Amino acid sequence: MTNGSMLLPIATGRRTRAMLRVLLRPHRARLAGAFALLVAGTSAGLVTPPLLGHVVNLATAGSGAGEIVLAGVALVGAALTEAALAGVGVALLAQVGEGVLARLRERFVESALRLPLEQVERAGAGDLTSRVTNDVAVIAEAARTALPEFTRALLTIGLTLAGMAVLDWRFLVAALIAVPVQLHTVRWYARRAIPLYARQRVAVAGQQHHLLATINGAATIRAFRLADHHRDRVGARSQQAVDLLLRGVALQTRFYARLHVAELAGLAAVLGTGFFLVRGDAVSIGTATAAALYFHGLFGPINVALALVDDAQAAASGLDRLVGVADLAAPRTPTPTASPGPRRPGAPGPAVTVSGLDFAYSPDRPVLRGVDLTVGHGERVAVVGASGAGKTTLAKVIAGVHQPVAGTVEVPGGEVALITQEVHVFAGPLVEDLRLARPGASDDEVRAALATVDALAWAEQLPDGLSTEVGAGGYSLTAAQAQQLAFARLILADPPVAILDEATAEAGSAGARLLERVATAALEGRSALIVAHRLSQAVNADRIVVMDSGRIVEVGSHEELIGRAGPYATLWQAWSDQRPLPTG
Amino acid sequence: MRRTGPSRRGRGVLSGALAGQRRLVILSALMVTAHQAGEALVPFLIGVVIDRAVGGGVGDLALWLGVLGAVYLGLSYGFRYGVRYGERAAEQAAHGLRLRLTRRVLDARGGAEADRLPGALVSIATSDAARVGAVAVAIASGVAAVMALALAAVLLLWISLPLGLLVLLGIPPLLLLTHLLGKPLEGRSESEQEQSAHASGIAADLVKGLRVVKGLRAEDAAVERYADRSRRALTASVRVARAEAAYQGLVHTASGVFLAVVAVVGGVLAAGGDISVGQLISSVGLAQFLVGPMSTFGWVGVDLAQGRASARRIAAVLDAAPAVAGGDAEPSMPVRGRVTVRGLHSPPLRGVDLDIDAGELVGIVTADPAEAAALVGLFGRAYDPVAGAVELDGVALAELDPGSLRSAMLTTEHHTDLFDGTIRSNITAAGRARVDLVDAAVAAAAADEVIRTLPDGLDTVLDDQARALSGGQRQRIALARALATDPTVLVVHDPTTAVDTVTEARIAARLRSVRDGRTTVLITTSPALLAATDRVIVLHDGVVRATGRHGELVADDSRYRSTVLA
Repeated sequence: MTNGSMLLPIATGRRTRAMLRVLLRPHRARLAGAFALLVAGTSAGLVTPPLLGHVVNLATAGSGAGEIVLAGVALVGAALTEAALAGVGVALLAQVGEGVLARLRERFVESALRLPLEQVERAGAGDLTSRVTNDVAVIAEAARTALPEFTRALLTIGLTLAGMAVLDWRFLVAALIAVPVQLHTVRWYARRAIPLYARQRVAVAGQQHHLLATINGAATIRAFRLADHHRDRVGARSQQAVDLLLRGVALQTRFYARLHVAELAGLAAVLGTGFFLVRGDAVSIGTATAAALYFHGLFGPINVALALVDDAQAAASGLDRLVGVADLAAPRTPTPTASPGPRRPGAPGPAVTVSGLDFAYSPDRPVLRGVDLTVGHGERVAVVGASGAGKTTLAKVIAGVHQPVAGTVEVPGGEVALITQEVHVFAGPLVEDLRLARPGASDDEVRAALATVDALAWAEQLPDGLSTEVGAGGYSLTAAQAQQLAFARLILADPPVAILDEATAEAGSAGARLLERVATAALEGRSALIVAHRLSQAVNADRIVVMDSGRIVEVGSHEELIGRAGPYATLWQAWSDQRPLPTG
Repeated sequence: MRRTGPSRRGRGVLSGALAGQRRLVILSALMVTAHQAGEALVPFLIGVVIDRAVGGGVGDLALWLGVLGAVYLGLSYGFRYGVRYGERAAEQAAHGLRLRLTRRVLDARGGAEADRLPGALVSIATSDAARVGAVAVAIASGVAAVMALALAAVLLLWISLPLGLLVLLGIPPLLLLTHLLGKPLEGRSESEQEQSAHASGIAADLVKGLRVVKGLRAEDAAVERYADRSRRALTASVRVARAEAAYQGLVHTASGVFLAVVAVVGGVLAAGGDISVGQLISSVGLAQFLVGPMSTFGWVGVDLAQGRASARRIAAVLDAAPAVAGGDAEPSMPVRGRVTVRGLHSPPLRGVDLDIDAGELVGIVTADPAEAAALVGLFGRAYDPVAGAVELDGVALAELDPGSLRSAMLTTEHHTDLFDGTIRSNITAAGRARVDLVDAAVAAAAADEVIRTLPDGLDTVLDDQARALSGGQRQRIALARALATDPTVLVVHDPTTAVDTVTEARIAARLRSVRDGRTTVLITTSPALLAATDRVIVLHDGVVRATGRHGELVADDSRYRSTVLA
């Protein structure tokens, strides 16, 4: 399903520049130093063509070897000076770029993590993930290679043109003949390249995604004998990506063909100018040589600078997307819980009180209607009902993900943990994954939590024990093991109230049983609301709440409800008896 | 299966992929050569034009500028088509490999995924295929570099034998020197670059686990952890940047020294009248040009080595041993659907015997997930047993062609895979399903309720592996697909674990009528489903422990009760 209506914000160009200025502020001195060094270094390098011109003049005059060697020594000196100054300058520049990039990605991650979940869910997590992977990568690449190269190329171009003007202003005029062609070429290219590359990225990502889905689903594809069909689909996606990549190549070669025209025009003009100036004795042959070498030396930097224009564009739009999220940072205010009431852990009264709760995602479709519910301290309440009855929504409203439309939710303890069927193992050492829930946890505490969820045995048998790298790129855990970790985190986070939403659903039915045992252990001493799939979860609960169409229709313990011959009793009958159900 | 070494098979993949692109590679090599020759002639011509400025007239200038224009035309078109042909060859070769790999992975006999993560296979089908393709460009560039080198050498030696020799003999040690200088930096920067890539990876990972972080209110801890990683990555990448800047400086100094030597020797020769001033300028220009083609050999060598390594990885997948090798018989028609299991051994199963009659609805219960997984694998012929057999109408599955077997007997795993496309296209399984059965199957799997809540009903498009649906919704659509395919024998493993109890009971009630007259095996511990079966077979410790109706077993067998009702 696609739901692209509520994407996360994208910053305006002005806002992005303001943010960059803020991020650059601490680096101002370093940046100025880098720039000065680069100017000095590039200038030193530009002594080379006149020195070569000087050698030509010496040769024309038939001078002795001594003077020529002296010029050679000067050439070596120029190269050394340029290398040293520009080298330090580039290093400083990279330091600034990397520093800004690091700060930006930290701010991005911070505000992404602090975004209200409601907002992320509306936008789809994919938007956030793509910003943090693709956009950060594009910007990092730009900061790392494009920025220093681009800066150096621009400086070289500017200073070379200045050098040509110093030789004779007419050389500069001749060289500038190429500029209109180049400007036109860049605009022509950017117009076509940016949309084409955007399509290319989509096609390549689509191809990757499709391949992964196909390979992931290989067993199903074999079972249903769909191999030919899926191979054709992969083929079509791959062909589409290939076609777009080749169109990009064709566009690039046309771009360079235009630049060749500019090169030729400029070079012919500079050479012609030199020819006439030498004949008119306005400049020496050495000067004409220097001018030609200057211009020939411009090809590289110009190509670099122009080719980087689309990298720069991509980086700029990526920056807008990062800053858009980074700007949302509501720093240091924890996500509001359902009710900020006074924190009195041992206080009398229920741990959770829901009264007259109405909720709807859209006004015409109420999801919860007049729900009243309490969860006592240390009580375990199971919510049972068909899909669409509103169980998950109730869990989310109590957890503070959604705000009620009417009615109130009070959680005097203040802290509610929500564990869903979506399991995630954080990449890195296993023990670090668990410490996310309690940063200062000792090894013993971590071990105790793992032992409580029956996970210590397998965790210790991992290749490096608790230090084993798990998650993406590490040792891959089964769905049931990942869910055990989720419960271990719950124990470490130690919230007074926990909500479990289908937390044992992803494992197979035999695995679910183990997880139910684990969940029971993890919930020891906590008030809990359990959205139950399996009646076995409900059987052991202190109280069972049966929901239908957004309302609570039955409340009681397992025994009470069985005796009442209501909807719950019918369900239980279906479970424990062989008689087929009369329902349809 | 050919019994050849991995490198030999890799070479086979490489040469096979490129052989199809031979024409394009040759054309590309010719065109890139033209481009390189042009690039070599430009500095040479600059010298010639300046020489004319000393001695010739305006006519000479016009003539040589005309020659310069012609050279530009050649080099520009050479570049344009050389690059296009080369890239086309590379992309087409990679595309071909990608399709061969996909076909191998999806092959009915399986085996290619063994010991490989899906992500690794994707990377082989994309990155490795692209690297093999890139060899086409490397070959064309390498050929062109040799030709350009030869041309520049001829020009230089023609200008002056000693100066030419100086340049030609000077460049290789220069490149070797820069290579040696770069080597220690290379290794260091690689590991540090990895660390900075790691920081982005961690960020993506935290965002992926956003719901978990927020569910635990662990935002502060996560932010702090990320800041720590990011700082470490920053230190590493600044170190890389410094090392690279230092390396660039060294390379620059080395080539500056080389240029100075050529200029001094050329200058002395020109001062002595051995060569003209224009020839001096040409020599200096050619010396600068030559660094290009010579360093081409460096990256061409790297690309060739990477291409060979990638080709070996591709060959390993293409030549992977099939998971089920034997058997090409067709099931005898019409398939009746009697399933028998005789002395089945495949760890952890230790001698299972079963008889399931045609048309029966049977449940198989085991408390051990590994036993269930083994049964699913053997019924679906994902692999063959160590001993004993599963038989369809009395014929061992290992003797049947896997594709034909699966058309008669469909086994679906617990894990559900839905594919991009509409819900309808998923349920009809690209035409494998009976169109007239779709509605009945959808209703039986209680997928109609799911479909009703979606904006476009059956025509709602699922993307990103249907992640927008909940686990229970996905399971119901997957079950509808299995039912709509209407195989004579259907084996399903835990089809409703994420489906709520109310709906599960409804599914159980409808299952019998939609599978009427056909054999159905439910491998599950769900009491709602088991209650709907004719008979339940209970496995324990790898053998059949009990058989009976669900109600009887619940009443009489406490171990059964604790397994399914716990």
